[in-house]
Amino acid sequence: MIDLQALTQAVGDLDEKTIITMIEDFVATNPSGEEAQKIVFACQQGMGIVGELFEKNEYYVGDLIFAGELLSKTIDLLKPVLNDVATEKVGSIVIGTVQGDLHDIGKNIFGSMAEAAGFDVYELGVDVSPSAFVEKVKEVKPQIVGMSGVLTLAIDSMKETVKAITEAGLRDSVKIIIGGNPVNEDACKQIGADAFTTNAAEGLKTCQGWVS
Amino acid sequence: MTDAIARTNERNQLFKDLFSGNTPKRVPISNPATQDFAIQYAGLDLAECQWDLTKLEPVYDKFCQDFYTDTYPGGSIRIPSHYQILGSTPIVMSSSGFMQHPDVVGMLAEEYDEFIASPYDCIVETILPRLYTEFNGPPGKVAMALAKAMKAQADDLASLGAIRAKMNAKYGFATMVGALTEAPFDFMSDFLRSFKGISGDVRRYPDKVAAACEAVLPLMIKKGTLPNPSMLGYTFVPLHMAPYLREKDFAALYWPTFKKMVETLAGMGQSVQLFVEQDWMRYIDYLYELPENTIMRFEYGDPKLIKEKLGKKHIISGLYPVTLLQTGTKQQCVDKAKELLDILAPGGRYWWQADKSIIHLDINGPVVENLRAVLDYVHENGTY
Repeated sequence: MIDLQALTQAVGDLDEKTIITMIEDFVATNPSGEEAQKIVFACQQGMGIVGELFEKNEYYVGDLIFAGELLSKTIDLLKPVLNDVATEKVGSIVIGTVQGDLHDIGKNIFGSMAEAAGFDVYELGVDVSPSAFVEKVKEVKPQIVGMSGVLTLAIDSMKETVKAITEAGLRDSVKIIIGGNPVNEDACKQIGADAFTTNAAEGLKTCQGWVS
Repeated sequence: MTDAIARTNERNQLFKDLFSGNTPKRVPISNPATQDFAIQYAGLDLAECQWDLTKLEPVYDKFCQDFYTDTYPGGSIRIPSHYQILGSTPIVMSSSGFMQHPDVVGMLAEEYDEFIASPYDCIVETILPRLYTEFNGPPGKVAMALAKAMKAQADDLASLGAIRAKMNAKYGFATMVGALTEAPFDFMSDFLRSFKGISGDVRRYPDKVAAACEAVLPLMIKKGTLPNPSMLGYTFVPLHMAPYLREKDFAALYWPTFKKMVETLAGMGQSVQLFVEQDWMRYIDYLYELPENTIMRFEYGDPKLIKEKLGKKHIISGLYPVTLLQTGTKQQCVDKAKELLDILAPGGRYWWQADKSIIHLDINGPVVENLRAVLDYVHENGTY
């Protein structure tokens, strides 16, 4: 039987070889979906450790990116044995890089961490127009909208997007968080977002607070 | 001597003094707004103008007239024509018209050995065809695409050069030359392995990353060498990946070849300007080791600590937060400029630049008024 604590620790340590060996050995035993679900949970807890180490400045952004890659590799390996298991979601979030900006690294880190934490993540990609955000919010009715950007022009695009969400009568139904290099408290106020962050782990905590 | 020539001479002297460690007559200023901003300020369409650079002369004239600067403004410019002709994936235009660098993979992890054995051959034969779609296909077609792209680029550079010469003759800017290069690790990340790819490589095959940085170092030095190293000017090096690494990875993989590169360029008698992107405060003692008079334009950090640690050896710049121009009042913006002048100017070795470039203009926002107020304030009050 797989040692779940050891798996959690290996994910926390970003020890790729150990993680992959453990998961492959586990899948080879032809486990039930429920057993596989426990493995996913252990990996999610390992991602929690990664987030904590990031906040303590022991891990940096490069480590978060690698962690996201390891997690998606793990989920891919588990997919064949995970089928038909209903997963409980903690909430839903629409994310995208705002209009005019093509940078997606920060958004992808946040997206994979949110997914690992049990959110349904609807990913709109980069250079996303205000109307594309509005359409997606209408369609999936998320609790949270996350807007990302690296360039200073993103501030203006974020403002336009919040305006479009408000004009569509959707502002009261969602919390809005902005993330990326140029955001700060003043920009957040001016944009009309509910929260801002330059740190994916901290942003995730904010979102978890909103849906708990 | 015309007024403009006298102004050029005076400004050249400011920078000659600054770059050689002497205290100039006043704090020199570079307008952080770019050509993209200038086009929008002139009320023209950003995307369209970049395809027809001949429209830019009145754009630059108004830009130079309305915003104080000692150096020719406009920023580093990515001309779309040749990128488009080559089918570029690393540099593309977004819907706003701003040319950007998405995260792309030019080299696969299994190609490290090929790259380390001969970086130049690997770039030409394997990497460029992957990054630029028009480098694939029959040789005749590839040759034609390359010829068209080079012709387009030469024409565009000639247009921009002619405008620059006219503006220099009219406004008397400092006449500085520039080259651009990257730290070897940043080059490996930005154009070859991608942010995501290198983040895995650092853990999976650190020895290969280190060897690849060593292998590409001579090319990075060559790319960063000025035509004549004693000229007034500098090699611009935008720094990217260090803040995203653990210190032990930085120390083993990023720092050694980067330090060698800066030392080699400085050793040839030319200035090097680092754009110290993101937060490098935990590496400030490493930065201290770089050659005297290396110019460091910071994006983030504690100005007092930077001045204290580096201000006697290096030339400090940046730190002025351009987002304040978007969100603050005129008084707040000017107060911030004063605060930074008070900390960074005493004792010399300070060049006024902002923390980031201003690439976008919300015409209804306060940026134009705030930027002008700040540039004028520093011009009038920028004493050491």
